[in-house]
Amino acid sequence: MGTLIKQELFKLVHKKGTWIGAALIVLVQFGIAALAKMQGKIFGPADMFQSTFLGTSMTLFVLIASTASIVSMEFQYGTVKQLLYRKFYRSQVFLSKVCVVVLHMLALFALELAVTFAIKFAIFPQVDLAAKYMGTPAWQYLLIGQGGEILTALLLLSFVLLMSTLFKTNAAAIACGYVGYFLISMASTLLLMVIARWHWVKWNPFTMLMLPQQLQSPDIAKATYLSNPEMIGGLVVYTVVFTLIAYLSFRKRNV
Amino acid sequence: MATELKVKDLHKFFGRKQVLNGVDFTVETGHIAALVGPNGAGKSTIMKAILGLITTNGGEVTIAGHAVSITSHQELDNVGALIEYPGIYPFLTGRQHLDLFVTGTKAVKKAKIDWVVQAMQMGGYIDTKAKSYSLGMKQKLGIAQALLNRPKLVILDEPMNGLDPQAVKNLRDVIVSLAKGGTTFLISSHILSELEKLADTVLMLNGGRIVQQTTMHELQNAGTKVFTIHTVDDEGARAALINQGIQILPGNKTIAIALTEEDSLDKALRALINVNVTITGVNQVKHDLEGSFLDMIKSGEAK
Ligand SMILES: Nc1ncnc2c1ncn2[C@@H]1O[C@H](COP(=O)(O)OP(=O)(O)OP(=O)(O)O)[C@@H](O)[C@H]1O
Ligand SMILES: [Mg+2]
Repeated sequence: MGTLIKQELFKLVHKKGTWIGAALIVLVQFGIAALAKMQGKIFGPADMFQSTFLGTSMTLFVLIASTASIVSMEFQYGTVKQLLYRKFYRSQVFLSKVCVVVLHMLALFALELAVTFAIKFAIFPQVDLAAKYMGTPAWQYLLIGQGGEILTALLLLSFVLLMSTLFKTNAAAIACGYVGYFLISMASTLLLMVIARWHWVKWNPFTMLMLPQQLQSPDIAKATYLSNPEMIGGLVVYTVVFTLIAYLSFRKRNV
Repeated sequence: MATELKVKDLHKFFGRKQVLNGVDFTVETGHIAALVGPNGAGKSTIMKAILGLITTNGGEVTIAGHAVSITSHQELDNVGALIEYPGIYPFLTGRQHLDLFVTGTKAVKKAKIDWVVQAMQMGGYIDTKAKSYSLGMKQKLGIAQALLNRPKLVILDEPMNGLDPQAVKNLRDVIVSLAKGGTTFLISSHILSELEKLADTVLMLNGGRIVQQTTMHELQNAGTKVFTIHTVDDEGARAALINQGIQILPGNKTIAIALTEEDSLDKALRALINVNVTITGVNQVKHDLEGSFLDMIKSGEAK
């Protein structure tokens, strides 16, 4: 298993896209920081800090693309036979890919957060970490949000992984991931209206994607009709189910 | 002699279409087995089943006595393979592909990689990115990956694809020398003249079954021997032979006779010498793989 994870990491670090993705995140963050520096009235530094200078959004953007190709590239390059005819079980091959997705995710979140704090200290010393932001100390508000983002990222990526094993192509999976992600950022108000009308709708996976907002602003629970533990539980269950279906489709596939 | 690979009563359906219908064969340790059959006969499918890459609908595969299936892969540790076309990551160099899959201690890894690069003659481009490789370069890298860990069983699906004549000769030498050292090979190819130079065992696949498993030696010496006789005056020669009641095989431009009795050739030559026809050469016609292959297809169609 260790061997397999090492091999997956080897491929990941030798792919140019991995580094382009990481560079893109940092570039956008510095770009937003520059904007906040010049147009401080429209892009308030404290707000921009809380939005990690768009680092989190860019991280999800990059992770969706990278996850979509981790399985489908093996079909695309014809390397899947080499990967699977060895002594390892298919479950191990699949699990090693899941592990690498999670490692990649943690690495990019760490990068994005580190850059956020670096920008804060270097460019915006006036942003006070201890000051209250929406009633919570700024640093705490940020980290709670990041915790939620990591959990929702898991759900989103498990869905992307499922799409990419079903379709064998990364384009379809990337499209699904982006649509899912942007749908929730744009249509959440609509979703909450539907939930207010029919409570059971709250159990759909899109509601779970509101976890970061609900963790930061407990009032949202009144609109989602889900407690934090319920939401986290639902998120975990959906993630496990999507990953399991992805595995089942991968397990019996003729290659 | 020990049996390295055994395939027993293998069945495979793709949807409703039956591709394999009771495939049976064995390959002895250190032998080179040629798997031949028309396009779509199921050669690649058999190889995938041996490697536990596809589900089957009955039958079993054993490698060195251990069962292999899609869920049981332990024995595949000793197997190397190239199926259909080489799998290449365009963003890695050739050497990185080898680094990725090589096993052993640091010194062993280096020795294995150096050996295979040299054996496949890839030194010139092993450190450039694979996306710039030509067809033949990719093919060599695919074969190198199959041979890299010095497996006991090597399965090669059309390995000569895209290789130049020099590379084909070189590959043949590598395979033969590995087989001498005890490595077992299962090779499919449509270049029958090449297989002929390599193979110990011939497996003919048609209609979802192995219709014939023979040794190359048996195949070449099968049936009645045929000789061609070359003379300065073929016309006169034909007349003389017919005169003596000796049967000339029809359909040949050169004079060909079958050795139906032990002295058939002797009689023919004497008849020619008696009428003073100068004989410039006598050759034995060998049964070749191509002839047998075409016969097989024909008899398959007749059924
Ligand atoms: N994944 C698949 N789905 C459906 N049918 C398949 C699949 N793979 C192979 N087949 C069918 O199985 C048959 C055998 O295919 P296979 O690739 O084993 O032939 P082959 O002997 O290797 O042929 P070739 O000499 O052209 O390489 C073909 O008729 C093919 O159409
Ligand atoms: Mg084939």
